[in-house]
Amino acid sequence: MSDTLKLNDVATVEGQLVSIKEEDLPKTRLDLEFMPWKPFTDEQKKNTACILDDVCMLNIPKPQTPEEEEELVNKFLNGMRKLFDKENNFTCLPMLKTSMENCVQCNSCSEACHLYEMSGNNDMYRPNFRSEIFRRIYKKYVKKEPFAKWRYGDIDLNWKTIARLGELAYRCNLCRRCAQVCPIGVDNGLIAREIRKLFSQELGINPPELHTKGTVNQMKVGSSTGMNPQVVQDNVSFIDEDYSEITGVGIETPFDKQGADIMLLHNAGEIIAWPENIASFSLIFNEAGLSWTLSSKAVGYDGVNYGVFYDDAQLARIAFQHMKAAKELGVKKIVIGECGHAHKAITVIADRVIPYEYQVPRESCYVTLRDIVMSGRLKLDPSRNDFPVTLHDPCNAVRLMGIVQPQRDILHKIAPKFREMPCHGVDNYCCGGGSGFAIMTRNNIDEWRNNLSGRKKMWQIGEAFKDCLGPETKKYICAPCSNCKGQIRELLEHSDLYEKNSFAYGGLVELIVNCMENVNPGFIKWGEDE
Amino acid sequence: MTTLFYLLGYLAVVGFIALACKKLKGYLEDSPLHVRWELYPVPHEGKKSSYGGSFMEETEWWNKKRHIEHWYDIMGIIREVLLLEATFKHNNKLWFRTYPFHFGLYMLMGGTIIMVICVLLEFCGLNPQGGFMMFVRNVINVVVLGGAFAIVGGGIALIERRKNDPNLKAYTTPEHFLNLGAFVLFGLLTLCAWAFNPCGDGYYGLAHEFIRNMFTFTFAPIHSTFFVLSMLVGFFLMIWIPLTNMQHLILKYFMYHDIRWGDAPTSENEANQKKINDMIGSYRPTWAADHIEGDGTKTWADVATSDGIKK
Repeated sequence: MSDTLKLNDVATVEGQLVSIKEEDLPKTRLDLEFMPWKPFTDEQKKNTACILDDVCMLNIPKPQTPEEEEELVNKFLNGMRKLFDKENNFTCLPMLKTSMENCVQCNSCSEACHLYEMSGNNDMYRPNFRSEIFRRIYKKYVKKEPFAKWRYGDIDLNWKTIARLGELAYRCNLCRRCAQVCPIGVDNGLIAREIRKLFSQELGINPPELHTKGTVNQMKVGSSTGMNPQVVQDNVSFIDEDYSEITGVGIETPFDKQGADIMLLHNAGEIIAWPENIASFSLIFNEAGLSWTLSSKAVGYDGVNYGVFYDDAQLARIAFQHMKAAKELGVKKIVIGECGHAHKAITVIADRVIPYEYQVPRESCYVTLRDIVMSGRLKLDPSRNDFPVTLHDPCNAVRLMGIVQPQRDILHKIAPKFREMPCHGVDNYCCGGGSGFAIMTRNNIDEWRNNLSGRKKMWQIGEAFKDCLGPETKKYICAPCSNCKGQIRELLEHSDLYEKNSFAYGGLVELIVNCMENVNPGFIKWGEDE
Repeated sequence: MTTLFYLLGYLAVVGFIALACKKLKGYLEDSPLHVRWELYPVPHEGKKSSYGGSFMEETEWWNKKRHIEHWYDIMGIIREVLLLEATFKHNNKLWFRTYPFHFGLYMLMGGTIIMVICVLLEFCGLNPQGGFMMFVRNVINVVVLGGAFAIVGGGIALIERRKNDPNLKAYTTPEHFLNLGAFVLFGLLTLCAWAFNPCGDGYYGLAHEFIRNMFTFTFAPIHSTFFVLSMLVGFFLMIWIPLTNMQHLILKYFMYHDIRWGDAPTSENEANQKKINDMIGSYRPTWAADHIEGDGTKTWADVATSDGIKK
């Protein structure tokens, strides 16, 4: 199918456009088990546009009448016009327009994309596939350029084109590795996000995990996890109690300390899924003598900002609430916890969205931690970390922010057997959960993350540990980002790689705490220890 | 007909400048200030750029003076433009086809600039028969021959790739062949003009006469059909380039410096601080999804400070 896929097939082919078979997938050193795609139900086939591949992210309802189809097409075109209008899209218009008009179709971007490579070079996964469909629609139906069909190639616009384009925007991790290699400066990652934006902001179509359960929940309750301020404080208090016992060091996490130097902004998912991360931060910051606090204000305790993946309005609302919480506490700076997209959303993107007078300076926790570790304020015994460690670079913090060295300085100091993955730093590959997928599970999304999007990361991990694979040697995958950890956890679990290879995964702070002399030994647990 | 030829020449020059200015103006007007969308490595980070680091690796970077290494930016864009570095690194097979093509263009563009400068210097008193101009003559004759060969060879190689590479077929349109074909034709006609010209000074003589006539509004015939034909194709390309994806010739600077390397934090730029307030305080979105509440009366500031939840 890959050999014969044409761009206009998105408009003409009935039923599912492509299917990725197990035999298409490249092999990796780690023994990754293929998760068979669950067939779509008859109900889904009848009523939902699950017509791109084996996955369905958006559940777009199939139009049932020609009028409904016409309405969908018109709404889509209206949205597209708004994307190219300054008042509606001042945030991204120059990047979008230049990416629309300057691509020379060299497809250099294909080789850079982990999804293209790990799908067995399926044409649908070329970063330029969705971009070029989008360009052709724009030139033919919105700009109505003379000879558009001849100049840019033809595309038909109907409900199938729109539904598939919407889905295609969610077959990209927005890691922007493709943009990094483009000789012209075209950004297919940006185009994918702009299509997501169009669907969300005009058609009201978005993945529920990002919108209803994500940003809307965060604005309504205070956190995308559903935790309100009281629950957060209670949970953190339990964590303090538990980990005081585990570590042998009294941990007290401050909330709402007016005038503290630092407001630490965690991804609230850590509180539920990785309490050891919360405890580690508290322990390190207290031990280093920092003046710091968490906020108990709704939104102010959850650094998550899924708006950065799909919707400018939601992005701005959440970033504004983060800044407001810090302003109200009167802190000197926000330190962002181990969450890649939170780093980029509040530091880089919010920088030109939130008025300067509402802004509070933001710093990455990798930087703060580097200074603590290097200053000698903690008594560290690196021999406690005498196992192989490799580092995953979250795209948002590394390729998109240039925060590369601080986390390495720490690892070189505390992990004697630290080794890099192949293609590390700004050349790194996405974990496969980037741009929201780490929290999605419906309609074969789990299968997709395991079979396809996370495959390159597993290749990197296998290569990094190629000299010590197997159950004999304990190994640690340091992934200082909540979403990346979630994705890596799923991959390891499904193929039973914890046991087969004695892997543990976690953040940077856990590794620091693991080698603190005043902490009980064995803070990091491997399968058999738990 | 001769007058028409020269008029078309003026039209091409004026048209190219006008269209290029329109593109640049359009880019600058698209947004007073887009969001930061940088990608690392950013060359002006200096030594940090060797591994892709940024000023955000520093503790409380907003309290420190930033050292922006403009020289690294200049070297970065020069390497990219002159050597097509990204293509060499990431699409090596293509580089061996596209580099001769681009290098040929640079040679001809460089030759044209040299010729224009020399003609202007002649108006200022430089002896056209002097030693310096003899040297220029030889340089131009070599550059044009090499450049035209490179364009023809590279152009044909690129056409061949577009026709036969299965990875590119779905993305290739008739316009790609028109663009490449026009350049190959231009190169072939230039080669013919170089080889079959009645003028003792070689191609230099033809180009010198044409440029001098353009400056002095002397609409005298050029006695080389091939030269005239090559110029007509060249005139077409000058107008056509800004209307196609070849406009990256004009916009690449911004796509690198303003977007990929555009990392200026708002804390350091009062003009940007004002722009943000102006934009979000006056722009009124009309997005139709319920949660935006974009009814055209609310500004982006209103949207960002609301919760977007229907009461």
